[in-house]
Amino acid sequence: MSTEQQSPAAPDGAEAGPEETRRLRIFRYKRGDGGERFDEFEVPVGPHTTVLDALLWIKRHKDPSLALRYSCLHASCGTCGVLVDGREELACVCSVQDHGAEITVEPLANLPILTDVVVEMNGFFARFPHEHPIIRSSGSPADAHAGEVHLEGAHEVTLDLPGPLHHHPLHDDHRAAPPGADFMRLEDCIECGLCLSACPVAATSHDYVGPAALAAAERLLEEPRGVKREDVLAWASRPEAVWRCHVGFECTRACPADAVPAERIMALRRELTFGGPDDEESKR
Amino acid sequence: MAARHDAHVLIVGGGATGGGLAHDLALRGLRVTVVERGEVTSGTSGRHHGLLHSGARYAVGDREAGVECIRENMILKRIAPGTFECNDGLFVAVCDEDLEYLEPLVEGCTGAGIPAQRLTPAQALALEPNLNPELKAAVRVPDATVDPMRLILRFFATARHNGADIRPYMEVIGLLLHDGLVSGAAVRDHVTGKEGEIHADLVVNAAGPWSGKVASMAGATVPITPSPGVLLALRGRYCNMVINRMHKSADGDIVVPQRGLSIVGTSSWVVEDPDELSVPEDHVERMYTEGSKLIPALAHAPRRAAWSAARPLVGSSGAATGRELSRTFQTFDHAEQDEVEGFVTITGGKSTTLRGMAELCADVVCRKLGIDEPCRTHENVLLPHTAYYSEAVAA
Amino acid sequence: MSATNELPGTAERAQPGPIRHKGPGPSESGWLDPRGRGHGGRALALHRITGLVIVCYLYLHLGVLSMLLIGSSAWGSFLSLVTAKSFLALEVVLIAAVLFHGLNGIRVALVGSGIAVTRERAMFWAGTAIGTAAVIFAALHILGALS
Repeated sequence: MSTEQQSPAAPDGAEAGPEETRRLRIFRYKRGDGGERFDEFEVPVGPHTTVLDALLWIKRHKDPSLALRYSCLHASCGTCGVLVDGREELACVCSVQDHGAEITVEPLANLPILTDVVVEMNGFFARFPHEHPIIRSSGSPADAHAGEVHLEGAHEVTLDLPGPLHHHPLHDDHRAAPPGADFMRLEDCIECGLCLSACPVAATSHDYVGPAALAAAERLLEEPRGVKREDVLAWASRPEAVWRCHVGFECTRACPADAVPAERIMALRRELTFGGPDDEESKR
Repeated sequence: MAARHDAHVLIVGGGATGGGLAHDLALRGLRVTVVERGEVTSGTSGRHHGLLHSGARYAVGDREAGVECIRENMILKRIAPGTFECNDGLFVAVCDEDLEYLEPLVEGCTGAGIPAQRLTPAQALALEPNLNPELKAAVRVPDATVDPMRLILRFFATARHNGADIRPYMEVIGLLLHDGLVSGAAVRDHVTGKEGEIHADLVVNAAGPWSGKVASMAGATVPITPSPGVLLALRGRYCNMVINRMHKSADGDIVVPQRGLSIVGTSSWVVEDPDELSVPEDHVERMYTEGSKLIPALAHAPRRAAWSAARPLVGSSGAATGRELSRTFQTFDHAEQDEVEGFVTITGGKSTTLRGMAELCADVVCRKLGIDEPCRTHENVLLPHTAYYSEAVAA
Repeated sequence: MSATNELPGTAERAQPGPIRHKGPGPSESGWLDPRGRGHGGRALALHRITGLVIVCYLYLHLGVLSMLLIGSSAWGSFLSLVTAKSFLALEVVLIAAVLFHGLNGIRVALVGSGIAVTRERAMFWAGTAIGTAAVIFAALHILGALS
């Protein structure tokens, strides 16, 4: 991922061109000595250097005590969330070219700091509804480019399409997948915490469950997977849940995974405000 | 849950291997501590494209690996339900040359016990409309997609629930070695910046591509060749199934869906130091080129990320590209080969076989410690990944 | 149980860590900080501020009117106060605050009950346009009438 053998080449292994560097200003905190401070480093950068590349270069060449949190390096695991110049970013896909000569890196807001720019995620996950499945039905396999093909129609076109080789866990658990949705997929939300950090209300109120948890609840309404609708609505209608949101939309703005938490929160509020056909049934 | 045995095992490395082993040993009732210099899975385990192998990719050239894979594939789906996109995978022939691989592929799969279904091009396109419309043949195999970190977190969560102590941000800076006996490790805690020692009855080196570095701290050697490859994440979910190229293992022969991204991989070269990985742009271009032979729309998909991950290949670095080395895993008891007691290395392997690797190593560990406990991990359902972040036990 | 207490840093890790938050002061001020926020977060902050302004205006209004409690002799000084340029300028500010709070309030009510979520940004800018035009009109009318 990072530097070539001849150091200090650019962190992304770019060919040594004109020496371009950026100054990184990094929040530091070690437990025990109680100090919070900012350290500054000059880092050589290339056209594809990410903030994480730069941080790792510092760790490997300047200060091995710098603690960093990362894993997948491609915005899927959600572990590398930080504030870059005051805005929530995943460090592994945040390009230094989008920032100026000095780049400030701080830990996410609204969660306790473990060390340096790493926050403890226990509190983030504690806010979620108790049932939190991460697999859902996938529906159409297409992206916008693929046109109007739907799986159901496709099955009608080809005869004797062999069934899946696997045991479909959704079916095994009798949590019926919607018709035509034989495929399943991981939810968009990567549990990165950027939304909680960006939320103005989460800054004010440590009780607020936050956008990620509310969006997870709304996804349970969208596809129950065995979770009862009335349980989700009861969980969501508490004062520290959906009603604490004040429509700031900072969460959707910060979300790197297109999980649109704000829109989901509004959908949840619509369900609670106006109900729906299922609401009548659950009351019987 | 209190440990049944007094023996304390220190595992160096918080990746797939460390997680699998911690879970296995904790179930067998040993006291376990895992130390990892960064976040768990931050080494190499979290970086792959997310393929849960059916073994079909190995069935032709390496039948043993194929058999291991399909066995572990089925076990993981059983012990970690709700973590996989069980959508199967396709091997797709896009040219006449690829068709020569069709019969060996099906035969190899059958011989290894891997279910393989031949599909017509029409059937393949019905399942995956974004495939290359010129495709000539397809074979369906039980590949699956997984979020690598979250699967491994389930092992760590369950191990912790069963009494293991999992310590990220604790870096091993030396091994405590005296008179040919390893009695623990010297560590630096990155949370406080302070150093200390951990004593253990046995130290297991599960540091993946860094196994060589850790082993050398005890004066031992491990024939590990770090072999990185480039991966490319493109914006857009163009398939639900894993799409493999129907030919011998080569660059850019797989596309794996990861939520709203499509991951194209990979390439292969060898390095000395797994901390110094470059991302050669020509490899990135190759991913675009090869990936779009499978799914044409990928040619214009915007780039989300490009990165490298180092495979821990077992074997000496005499190999040129790394593809020649076996991907099976091995356990090294350094008492036998380096005359260092109290120190074992488990390395090699691939992510799909993490549980099986751990079973093998746990057997060695228990034998060395004189503990008689069977492995139970093939039937023990793991806690959800969110349990890793909570003190309380999730349902 | 493994020998947890022997591991370095165990006690320190068990302590709750500091929480950083945006905002100038204690965490309760987090909503105020406009840095790094989009139009939604700034609208939220401004909505709260204008709400406070309107409440303050109410008290001010009662305070000013209470000048008349004395009787008809207070009318003159009352008039000179309420027709002073600075007072009228404040009234324009008040109009701006009321317009913003009202228009944004409609937007929040519609979006927050899930009725018009996809048009959230459009409503913000439409409201801004309408409100700005109305304030300019009011300013010209109120302050312009003096010259």
